[in-house]
Amino acid sequence: MKRYDCLRAVAPRFGDELVVTNLGAVRHEWQALRPHPGNYHLQNLGLTSSMALGLALALPHRKIVAFDGDGSLLLNLGSLATIANQHPTNLIHIVFDNECYESSRGAPTATAGQADLAAVARGCGFTHVVTAKTLAEFEEGFRRALKSNDLYFILAKVEAGAADVPAAALDSQENKYRFVRYIEQSENLKILTSTLSRASDPHAK
Amino acid sequence: MSADEAATTIVGGLKQAGINLVVTLPDINLAQLLRAVEDDPDILHVPLCREEEGIGICAGAYLVGKKCAAIMQNGGFFNSNNAIVSTLLQYQIPLLLFIYYAGDIGDRTFSTSGSMTEPVLQALGVRYYVMRETSDAPELIKRAQILAEDAKRPVALLLTKEVLGRRAALKSL
Repeated sequence: MKRYDCLRAVAPRFGDELVVTNLGAVRHEWQALRPHPGNYHLQNLGLTSSMALGLALALPHRKIVAFDGDGSLLLNLGSLATIANQHPTNLIHIVFDNECYESSRGAPTATAGQADLAAVARGCGFTHVVTAKTLAEFEEGFRRALKSNDLYFILAKVEAGAADVPAAALDSQENKYRFVRYIEQSENLKILTSTLSRASDPHAK
Repeated sequence: MSADEAATTIVGGLKQAGINLVVTLPDINLAQLLRAVEDDPDILHVPLCREEEGIGICAGAYLVGKKCAAIMQNGGFFNSNNAIVSTLLQYQIPLLLFIYYAGDIGDRTFSTSGSMTEPVLQALGVRYYVMRETSDAPELIKRAQILAEDAKRPVALLLTKEVLGRRAALKSL
């Protein structure tokens, strides 16, 4: 099973869900499949799960999907305990486990050895934990998670390798502004403060 | 001023500044403050396992409209540096950092942490203020939040034992 095939299988199911992608090729694959202002592409290894928790807690009526990786989650295992304790019912935490640091020439991660991230999630207190080894299992797990009103952890065991897609042409600032403006518009919120000072006051007499 | 009174004053300042989500990791000197955060019904409190994850949580919450603060010891600030750089500074995301100043003048422990705290903040380009007077806290928090939002960067407030009501204030410091 390839990560890109998993993403392609579930992309048509997405509506206004917000997505956080991990550092690495997943951002390019997802942006190619679902170019949407509700995608936030992190340039950090480790914080995908935490970023998704922040979104989920702050917007409890909106579904949040995290596309995390094994190397990233191994760097921030404590986030699983924090997420399970907060128990946001609108969060789907998906980990594409390719058992390596793919963007760093494929050195093995701990999941290539003994570590099982699904068991860690269960131990931290996640109640809905799915391990998917086939595309059908992944699709079924995602379908259930999307339909439910509860926290889900889906571990997708995938082969290493990235799809041949164009690079997501989106820099950090651009990504942030597009995302926040989309939230402001879709949630009717005012988030970014604008400067109050101006060279002249048009209302001045 | 007692540590409980100081905690009430600081939490009052947070609320006046519009802060409604606070992530924390304990230090013995922060005990009363963290309890006051936990007990406040207007603040969503997220206790952490490691400070760095709190930076990610706050960044996410900010993007969808929350006003956030992170409370930690300076050791936790050191733990958070990659997150501050690659999440806050990279994307220009504001955040109030409340950093307990372990190893401050007069402390018998953590002098190495104390000596590195301000230089690391300076190296990151994070503007910071050392809080000494509890009565100044609400105004300082309000101004720091305005600065963070305007600059779209983190701003740090260093919590000393004086401001936390754990020893007598020294006005001349």
